[in-house]
Amino acid sequence: MELQPYLLLSAITFVIGVVGVLSRRNAIIVFMSIELMLNSVNLSLVAFSAFLGDVTGQMLVFFAMTVAAAEAAIGLAIIISMFRNKQTVNIDDINILKW
Amino acid sequence: MVDQALLSLAKFLPEITLAITFCLALLVGVIFRSRPRLSMWVALLGVVVSIALTIREMGITESVFSGMIAVDPFATFFKLIVGSSAIFIFLFSLYSAEVLSTMKRLVEYSSLLVAMTLGMYLMVGATNLLMMVLSIELTGLSSYVLAGYTKEASDSSEASLKYIIYGALSTGLMLYGISILFGLTGGAMDIYAINRALVTSPVNPIALLVASLLIIAGLGYKISAVPFHFWTPDVYEGAPITITAFLSVASKAAGFAMLIRFFKIAFIDSSAVGLPAGIWITLQGFEWNKIIAILSVLTMTLGNLVAVWQNNLKRLLAYSSIAHAGYMLMGLAILSDKGIAAVLIYFVVYMFMNLGAFYVVMLVSNKTGSEDIDSYKGLGFRSPFIGVSMVIFFISLAGLPPTAGFIGKLFIFASLLDAKWIWLAVVGAINSVISLYYYVRVVRNMFLRDPDENSGPLKFSVPEIVLLLLLVVPTLLFGLYYSPIVDFANASARMLGVH
Amino acid sequence: MDSHAVATGALYGYRNQKSSSTNNFFESSVTLETFLFYTLGAVSVGSALMMVTRRSPVMSALYLILNFFALGGLYLSLHAQFIAFIQILVYAGAIMVLFVFVIMLLNLGDEKKLNERFSWKKIVGAGLSFGVLMELIFVFAFSKANLPPSHFEKATDIGTVENIGMQLFTTFLFPFEVTSVLLLAAIVGAVVLAKKKLN
Repeated sequence: MELQPYLLLSAITFVIGVVGVLSRRNAIIVFMSIELMLNSVNLSLVAFSAFLGDVTGQMLVFFAMTVAAAEAAIGLAIIISMFRNKQTVNIDDINILKW
Repeated sequence: MVDQALLSLAKFLPEITLAITFCLALLVGVIFRSRPRLSMWVALLGVVVSIALTIREMGITESVFSGMIAVDPFATFFKLIVGSSAIFIFLFSLYSAEVLSTMKRLVEYSSLLVAMTLGMYLMVGATNLLMMVLSIELTGLSSYVLAGYTKEASDSSEASLKYIIYGALSTGLMLYGISILFGLTGGAMDIYAINRALVTSPVNPIALLVASLLIIAGLGYKISAVPFHFWTPDVYEGAPITITAFLSVASKAAGFAMLIRFFKIAFIDSSAVGLPAGIWITLQGFEWNKIIAILSVLTMTLGNLVAVWQNNLKRLLAYSSIAHAGYMLMGLAILSDKGIAAVLIYFVVYMFMNLGAFYVVMLVSNKTGSEDIDSYKGLGFRSPFIGVSMVIFFISLAGLPPTAGFIGKLFIFASLLDAKWIWLAVVGAINSVISLYYYVRVVRNMFLRDPDENSGPLKFSVPEIVLLLLLVVPTLLFGLYYSPIVDFANASARMLGVH
Repeated sequence: MDSHAVATGALYGYRNQKSSSTNNFFESSVTLETFLFYTLGAVSVGSALMMVTRRSPVMSALYLILNFFALGGLYLSLHAQFIAFIQILVYAGAIMVLFVFVIMLLNLGDEKKLNERFSWKKIVGAGLSFGVLMELIFVFAFSKANLPPSHFEKATDIGTVENIGMQLFTTFLFPFEVTSVLLLAAIVGAVVLAKKKLN
């Protein structure tokens, strides 16, 4: 098995995640797309780590997971507090501030 | 291993103080439930102690915790900037109607401010990609929460949501860039090791370009450089003013420190010989300073042009702070220690004038409940001292003598001309002229328009005035007597491992 | 020598053999690793696409969980055992449960419309993403010279719990401590934001 297919797979899922973030309107799905992006980063790091025979990449994955968990917790808390104010999680509806 | 960690701890006292303060502020809040102000005082004290310990660290150049963090004059300088703006923010908070209206949550407010300060202290010293990500996240997570702190106001939680979506997206992009860089350099995470790998075995320039663009996306978000600035106006408008002021100064300073350190160490040709002192060159085939120059032009032009149309003073200051990031980026593009020193000088100046402008906005909105430019009509007559202070801050932001802002711009432009970047200097000068227009617009409202019929004079308490003086005096003083900050900045442009 | 070592040895034997004839990659007989990669890769791309396009947040969450399991499998085939199990435990087990919990809590219906509106943002986003994808394909898939030499044979030893633990408490001790502050800040923040009434 070569390294490139793994990187290509990682690039493809990363792009799918980016498209999800930019095009979806539901804030929860936007956050899920961000999780997808972070996961594809993890895949390329693990692949590099395996092919380089170096554990550092896996350590970075470990910390990236911590960061992702913290980010998800805060993000979902913000969504809940937003939902209490506006009864919606749609990014377009809640946009009284201009882009 | 253990010995080394213990030795590192001794060089790490400011950060340890902040970490302890963070926990202590929370504990005090839990124990003395009825007195939430107490934990704010604890937090304030902790930050003051951390600054004192930072001053003790001056002149040390060392790498701690197996190369994770650098303690050097450059980091110390930015820690002082971040720490002193944190102190100002705590003092502002004592008089902010917005913050005091949610008294019960003051405990979380103070402790998260400390956590954010700690994150920035780590950001300015991070010499490892992993530490860069973690410290950006620590700063980011605390600021997402603080931006939505007054969650009853719907603006605030909306600002928070927008902030975290952009923040998480840019973290994702940056992590991807890091993973590419990690692979290209054969498993290097330390920025010095990255530089060694890139100098000894050049990699495909396009791959390097993609990686560095993705990393710039993460850092550009922190310093709100165009095109990563989308969150800035909304978050600045929606967040409580104290937090807005903190984001616009400290967060930007920490982002700049990280950007400068990362690019200056990882992407310069450290094997080059025979260069004049204080000049560096980019890696072969990868002229990243052009990218920075383009970013800087975009950032200042868009910031200034859009600021012209703003009617909300917080939004206006948001765009003006974007423009200031553009000016400062110029200092990095020219690849010289002089440019870096100019950025540092600019940051000292920027801290006083920008915090001052936000403080006046806060004082006025405490009384009038509005941040609209119309509510500043006749402010010069309703409260002459406030009006005059605001004029001083705006003159300084526009970069006119005899204020400190002029000195900041002067050194940036001097270093540009020195390095023969004439076109960039011209663009910067044109931008300064544009910025004059919108600053003058506010000043005109304050002094040349009559106040509304039913509005009387505004009265402010003595401590509020004293706090304002603490910001006005340096803004004027450093315009006339600037050699100390220039010397300090020149001494602080030194980084670990760079000669 | 256990059976695992024999199996991996066979894998490398194949690898060395194949490296001489990289160009007929698809003609070569399918090993366990390539089979796993293409199966799990297809599942992962498919579930990612489904996740992004579903109307119902619950369906999206379920497809995302599927994606995480596929990635976990890929990590295993890359000999990153510890990361693979953490992936399942933390991501699929904890983070996604949080997502599903919030979706249930807010009791969201399906999105009525799924982006039928013509929005410039979507176009720009898709364009940019496509550009990045193309660039990445160019950079990675078509230029092997960019990539450092492979030491895949070392991979079996590095991803163990023991090795990761060693690294975590020596070289990476400091970041590990920093995450504790990060998580504490996140806990405080989440409570502040989500608690109903504090006044």
